[in-house]
Amino acid sequence: MDFETLSGDLHRLRDRALEEIATSSDPAALEALQIQYLGKKGDLTAVLRGIGALPPEDRPRVGAVANEVGEAVKAALATRGAELHGQVQARRLASEAVDVTLPGRTVGRGTLHPIPETVEAIAEVFGQFGFVVYEGPEVEDDLTNFQMLNIAPDHPARDLWDTLYVDIPGYLLRTHTSPGQIRVMQSTRPPIRALLPGRCFRYEAVDASHGFEFFQVEGLMVDEGTSMADLKGLLDEFAHALFGPRKTRFRPGYYPFTEPSVAFDVQCVVCGGAGCPACSRTGWMTILGAGMVHPVVLQYGGIDPEKYQGFAFGMGVERIANLRHAVPDLRYYLENDLRFLEQFR
Amino acid sequence: MRVPLSWLRDYVDIQQTPEQLAERLTLLGMEVQGLEQWGADWRSVVVGELLTVEKHPRADRLHLTTVNIGSGEPLHIVCGANNIAPGQRVPVALPGAVLPGDRRIERTEKMGIASEGMLCSGDELHITSDAEGILILPPETTLGVQLSDLYGDVVLDVDVKPNRGDALCLIGLAREVAAATGATVRWPDIAVREGDDPVSAHLRVEVREPELCTRFVGRWISGVKIGPSPDRIQMRLQAAGMRPVSNVVDASNYVMLELGKPTHTFNGAAVRDGTIIVRRATPGESLETLDHVQRELTPDTLIIADPHGPIGIAGVMGGADSEIADDTTDIAIESAIFDPVSIRRTGHRYALRSEASLRFEKGQEFQLARIAADRVAQLTLAWSGGVCARGRIDTAPDEPAAARLAFRPARVRKLSGAEVSAPEQRDLLRRVGVETEENGASVQIQVAVAPQPLRVDAGEEEVLVAVVPTWRRDLAIEADVAEEVARVRGYETTPAHLPDTLMPAYRPSPLAVRNMLRSTLAGAGLSEVVTHALVAPESEPRLRWPSDDDLTGVETPESGSLITVTNPLSSQHSVMRRHLAASLIDVLALNERQGRGDVAIFEVGKGYGRVDGRSREWTRLGILLSGNAQPPSWNRADRQYDLDDAKGIVELLAKRLGLPAPVYRADDRGFPFHPGRALVATSIADHEAVVGRVAELHPDVLEQRDLRSQRVIVAELAIRGLDAGVPARVHVEPIPRFPEVERDLAVVVGEAVDAATVSATISRNAGELLRGLRLFDLYRGAPLAASEKSLAYRLVFGARARTLTEAEVDEAVARVQAGLKSELGANLRS
Ligand SMILES: [Zn+2]
Repeated sequence: MDFETLSGDLHRLRDRALEEIATSSDPAALEALQIQYLGKKGDLTAVLRGIGALPPEDRPRVGAVANEVGEAVKAALATRGAELHGQVQARRLASEAVDVTLPGRTVGRGTLHPIPETVEAIAEVFGQFGFVVYEGPEVEDDLTNFQMLNIAPDHPARDLWDTLYVDIPGYLLRTHTSPGQIRVMQSTRPPIRALLPGRCFRYEAVDASHGFEFFQVEGLMVDEGTSMADLKGLLDEFAHALFGPRKTRFRPGYYPFTEPSVAFDVQCVVCGGAGCPACSRTGWMTILGAGMVHPVVLQYGGIDPEKYQGFAFGMGVERIANLRHAVPDLRYYLENDLRFLEQFR
Repeated sequence: MRVPLSWLRDYVDIQQTPEQLAERLTLLGMEVQGLEQWGADWRSVVVGELLTVEKHPRADRLHLTTVNIGSGEPLHIVCGANNIAPGQRVPVALPGAVLPGDRRIERTEKMGIASEGMLCSGDELHITSDAEGILILPPETTLGVQLSDLYGDVVLDVDVKPNRGDALCLIGLAREVAAATGATVRWPDIAVREGDDPVSAHLRVEVREPELCTRFVGRWISGVKIGPSPDRIQMRLQAAGMRPVSNVVDASNYVMLELGKPTHTFNGAAVRDGTIIVRRATPGESLETLDHVQRELTPDTLIIADPHGPIGIAGVMGGADSEIADDTTDIAIESAIFDPVSIRRTGHRYALRSEASLRFEKGQEFQLARIAADRVAQLTLAWSGGVCARGRIDTAPDEPAAARLAFRPARVRKLSGAEVSAPEQRDLLRRVGVETEENGASVQIQVAVAPQPLRVDAGEEEVLVAVVPTWRRDLAIEADVAEEVARVRGYETTPAHLPDTLMPAYRPSPLAVRNMLRSTLAGAGLSEVVTHALVAPESEPRLRWPSDDDLTGVETPESGSLITVTNPLSSQHSVMRRHLAASLIDVLALNERQGRGDVAIFEVGKGYGRVDGRSREWTRLGILLSGNAQPPSWNRADRQYDLDDAKGIVELLAKRLGLPAPVYRADDRGFPFHPGRALVATSIADHEAVVGRVAELHPDVLEQRDLRSQRVIVAELAIRGLDAGVPARVHVEPIPRFPEVERDLAVVVGEAVDAATVSATISRNAGELLRGLRLFDLYRGAPLAASEKSLAYRLVFGARARTLTEAEVDEAVARVQAGLKSELGANLRS
């Protein structure tokens, strides 16, 4: 055994290994080749077993050749391994392709009802100006619903509220959220900034724009110098928040519990003020009624009308929601047809 | 109130277009709700002249006429009326005309003779109420002119607010027009040509209830001739929405619309003994009213009577026996002031509310009683002839002076927030007839009137005194003056700024917990509904939803009897609900009818009940699940909702509220529940609680309601904080620093042992090292016996400050196993 023979064996081994590596077709075969050539009992080890028969001075030279062969095989294995891995991965990915234009898997399909959502929207705006939410009973006593609001039992203005009465003497279904004004004033001291949302009832036949159950939000602010200008300023902000920038105006209204009383109009949300059927060609839409709290109402609330003054406003939640969402028929709200509700998802 | 513009112009000059006027009135508080083109129906109706009038050869009751309409050949028209003669000018509806009531006029043939149009009666045109004869127009009327050009008008529909009864008439609205435009109001010339014999020779009046009838002015006219009013008057009344009746009745109605003062005219012959008595009815009395209804009179009804009995209900409606008839010759005119409250109650009592009673209810200017009596007499004489007796009966001839109302200009500014100087305030008030005077001495200010009158000293502040016109009965306190100033100045000029006063103290929103749960449920796939609080009376009895008696931890238990509406609109909505379940089932039914069976909904709503004569309200969460939980899809199998979905939601809510996992207790009552699929869920901590029922509905309920759904799950939960509450605060447990140990345990028990009992037994025996317990499998079948089931639990053990030893865990598991064996007779598989 001499150096030439041994290094020739090593080079042949290298050539054979490189050939087999290059033609191997899957990672398992490559794994087997690695063991066959580089394993502890592999071919390279077997060849090197002849090294002991060489003269000592030749041994390092053979070692260098063996190293070189081993490195070459290792490198080939790595290269081919990377190639094969890439091929396998590419095949898998190709087989996993989907039609990405297919719709996704539906997640949830719950919705929130536009009435409480509109109440939330209103409360959010006034909340920024320090208005806190209160609630009052829906089965209300006549005293609070009418008399304390300056509407005596035989006041002709009672005709404005067609009332549903219940079989508890002295009680009725509240016709508006305004009795909440009395309850708030009786339970707290000025400065008062209160918002009162809730369900109301009236003796009214149902059609596209009327119902016997509906929702209102009442507002009340009382302090020493609260004026109509404060009311106008807040309502302007409110209209801006809910309907975008648009002109607003006060015009006279009438409520027994406010003096002066006003109606608050915004530029028509449909035509922008040019005049259309939705605004009866006036260019304006009334969104709420308001006024300065009547001295008698302050008195019933236990507040000195000479020292304090304030304003109140009341709006129909459905009216606000109709304008915001273009709802064509009031009956949609309490009917709960999912084809309506699911549009608010 | 309907206001024909041509009539309004009698009292005030109007330069503006109708649209401009409408806008000005609206901004002044007299809201114009509509502008009607009166007479729009009269297009293609023209003025013609009758040339010839001959008998129809084949019909006695018809006439053949030829009519000149100013141009073209004369028209041949067949007519059935008898009041026509050659030379008269008449309205001619041409073929193509459409008359009121959608009546189309065509070329026709009547008994063999062609008719090229129709001659019209006043009734057919809705101009007068005469349906007998053709409307004969004044001879000077121009031929060929369209009737709409001749008599057309614009009618304003004005919404007069309840506090402004003074404006429910043409004079009142003329005052408002004058305030808006600066024009001057023209009163009609009111003067009565009187005869020689005194009124006292014909009429005596005795008011026995001076509180309820504060003034009665009477007049007497002899020798009237009843007939139709002048056409012009009939047209005005028609346009104002009032049907012409006869000259005498029309005079009364005309004055009511003109001055706002209702009056009544009696057939003088029916006022027996010539004596009118104003008194309360006595028990047993009755009266046939003008509408020919016999009415039993209650003793609190104020009536007009003669010495022999009632002849009218005061201020509301006259009696049939004293009605003006064709042969009436003498009339008694009543122009009275009645107590508004009494009139209002009477109107309600007899369900009789007339134009007259509506005006009485709002209160009347005292002077008007005298003025209106004269005006009715004047118009009656003009339209019906006769002689008016000299003088009036007047039970209260002293008329009050104008009231004086002191106000502080500074206070007006403070309320309105606008810088309006005192001189400007005086100018503005003058425009609505309120004169003002300066006041040197300090004076009392009326801040509030009844029921708690409040007068304050003005001190050093500047004070003005408003002289309130007698018709403005609505101006009583200082704030009323402020309103008047702001109104005339124009509310549209109100300045706007944000409040700069103190903010109120913090107050948690009562909606906070409600909103948190609402968004949680919507996120979990449920749709929120809002249903009626008023339900049908049979709704609850039919469903038999159980009361709260067996629930513990409910803050406001459902209680009391049903609250019933005493004047319901419909029987379908006449009681206040106590539970939400029936309403949710209604929503399911509605959506099923629309072909939609997959329904997952919730409502946060109130229940109402009566306890000890008082009402109570409580807020609940209702849930209904039916149909597909996951609709069939190409990328997911569908799955039907079942009881576990509802329980999962309850568990989710408990988590959101920071509560322990709910404990379930079976409820096997049966109807309305599936006897094997109903439970009570309870999860209570110190401040929070979720308590309620979760159940699959009994198939009989579905059948009863005609529902197609196979399974419907309903839950109603009482949740603390729904009424008002603060969302729970989370208290963080430190993350375990030492490893936890898991052990799985399969427990074989008889079917009669429920899962809640098994898990409770495990927890109780495991001791404090047990940190988690989860059921991960439920198995029935071989090799288990038929009456057995296997529950597989994963137990997690751990300690906060150290690593557990195997021995410790083994010991705990052994305790659990022993407990399960001895307490439940369980076998353990591993
Ligand atoms: Zn518009």
